Amino acid sequence: MKRRNNKKNKRSANPLNKLSLFQKNDNKFFKSCPLSVKDAPIIDYKNIKLLKRYLSDTDKILPSRITSISQNKQRKLTKEIKKAKILALI
Amino acid sequence: MSFYEHTFVAKQDLSTIEVDDLETKYNDLINSTDGKVVKIEKWGLLSFAKKINNYNRGFYIHYKFEGNSKTIGEIKKKTNLDNSIIRHLTIKYKKLDTEKEYFKKEDQVNEKKK
Repeated sequence: MKRRNNKKNKRSANPLNKLSLFQKNDNKFFKSCPLSVKDAPIIDYKNIKLLKRYLSDTDKILPSRITSISQNKQRKLTKEIKKAKILALI
Repeated sequence: MSFYEHTFVAKQDLSTIEVDDLETKYNDLINSTDGKVVKIEKWGLLSFAKKINNYNRGFYIHYKFEGNSKTIGEIKKKTNLDNSIIRHLTIKYKKLDTEKEYFKKEDQVNEKKK
């Protein structure tokens, strides 16, 4: 009996296992903004570790469509990145 | 009066005494022109992301201070004439965060924990 229970739990835990066309999909397709959560890191031109996460390999700013940052935070990010670029930190 | 942050990058081939002189020079300049320095941070010798005027590294010095437009104008005048400064940046703030330091060396952090 115990084994059966375990199997059921595993399936229900991962909603991607559902492959039915007519059933509504419960899992989210869109990530929420990682910078507007509680205790989110401060966007600042001195915080290089954070800013580097949102740059491409060729040091371009990644679009919010890829990083799923909210519009308000994206505006702040671009400003801070440009400040850091003036001081050649990034 | 409002709060400002000012950082400048000095040339890499300066001696430590010259860097200290620069630091005190701008500290005095801010204090003498209606300003008040809250904190000075020395980020040390950092390497640039890309070459600037054939330099690969520079000394970073960071000021947090209170002042008005007169202080800012005076700083700009002096830095533009200064040959040993490559880049500078001033930013206005409503509030200053004096606690967090992003460019602390790891040794100093460890010492504080002990």
